Amino acid sequence: MEVMMTRSKLLWMIAGSALLLLILFSVFRKGEAETVPAPAPRAVAVDSTKCIAPKEFMRANHMRVLYEWRNSSVREGNRVHVASNGSRFEKSLNTCLGCHSNNRMFCFNCHSYANVKPKCWNCHLSPMETP
Amino acid sequence: MMNEQRREFIKKTALGVFAGFGVASGLVPAFSLEKTVLPAWDEKPVPGKIRWGMLIDMRKCKEDCQQCAAVCHHVHNVPDFRNKKDEVKWMWKNPYQNVFPTASQQFVSKEIKDRSCLALCNHCAESPCTKACPTEATFKRWDGIVAMDYHRCIGCRFCMAACPYGSRSFNWQDPRMAIHDPVTTYPTREQGVVEKCNFCSDRLVKGQRPACTEACPEQALTFGDLNDPASDIRQLLETNATMQRKPELGTKPSVFYII
Repeated sequence: MEVMMTRSKLLWMIAGSALLLLILFSVFRKGEAETVPAPAPRAVAVDSTKCIAPKEFMRANHMRVLYEWRNSSVREGNRVHVASNGSRFEKSLNTCLGCHSNNRMFCFNCHSYANVKPKCWNCHLSPMETP
Repeated sequence: MMNEQRREFIKKTALGVFAGFGVASGLVPAFSLEKTVLPAWDEKPVPGKIRWGMLIDMRKCKEDCQQCAAVCHHVHNVPDFRNKKDEVKWMWKNPYQNVFPTASQQFVSKEIKDRSCLALCNHCAESPCTKACPTEATFKRWDGIVAMDYHRCIGCRFCMAACPYGSRSFNWQDPRMAIHDPVTTYPTREQGVVEKCNFCSDRLVKGQRPACTEACPEQALTFGDLNDPASDIRQLLETNATMQRKPELGTKPSVFYII
């Protein structure tokens, strides 16, 4: 009787751990096999002639552009950026947000996808915070 | 007190998020940040051509008026922790003998002795703070303004030790919790950085005068280019006896006083 009890217990334990392994395996397989699709920007497309640089360049280099803008405008007073098509922009985060904030998640979607945590919004008002 | 401020901040932030839904559904026009304009100075400025300065006429300054400081702190999102220990100030009033501790205190008229004097960053031509800063977060601009790049500030407070005028304040706590009436036209600072008066460089670039000079009901503050002999400030310096704070230190302050 006692032996039977232990055996059924043991069976239950084996079944339980098998289920657990299966779940864990499927979870990890999923993360490994499927790549999470990049979040697509939801806002209406802005006239690209107003962009300071092509989309592909900005995706990879916007942080460098912001760094460059900050140093040249704050330190040298060179506040005007002339784009390759001749249009002129003020070197300011607000210039970017003037268009890109029409999607309030524009920065956040991508940053959370890439798991980067820039500190911009510790001081600057994010598109999420403005009424 | 703290809870109340937190509550206020969270309420305002939540409002922003709800407004976000409004924009998404097309109800609220996007973005209320300040419109960007091409700045007043189109070309890269020549270093040393301009030297901005201020003249404070203490004869006109009313004893109980703090309008300039109130407006300054409002437009720049300067936090008010309501606590002397954590105080952050860009512009403030102190008794005469504290603002001019090395000026003669003997037989000074009672009127002057009892007067409180306006103080702010002196934007010294020989600024000790910029020399102390290890990261060049604070630096001398092309137009004489001692500017701060908060991105680079590591919070070491060497500049606070170096400044002989107490013009710099440290954010011991998160300043966003202590901004009671935030404006969207200027960023805040974050915990762990030093801040101070920027001579309204944010307004100068738009061709406006500093907020304090516009706010003063008595026009006691004159702002102008010290390098331009025809400027108002130079005319006043020409025709009045003026003082600088602690001139013997050789910092060459750009803020002058008529006592």
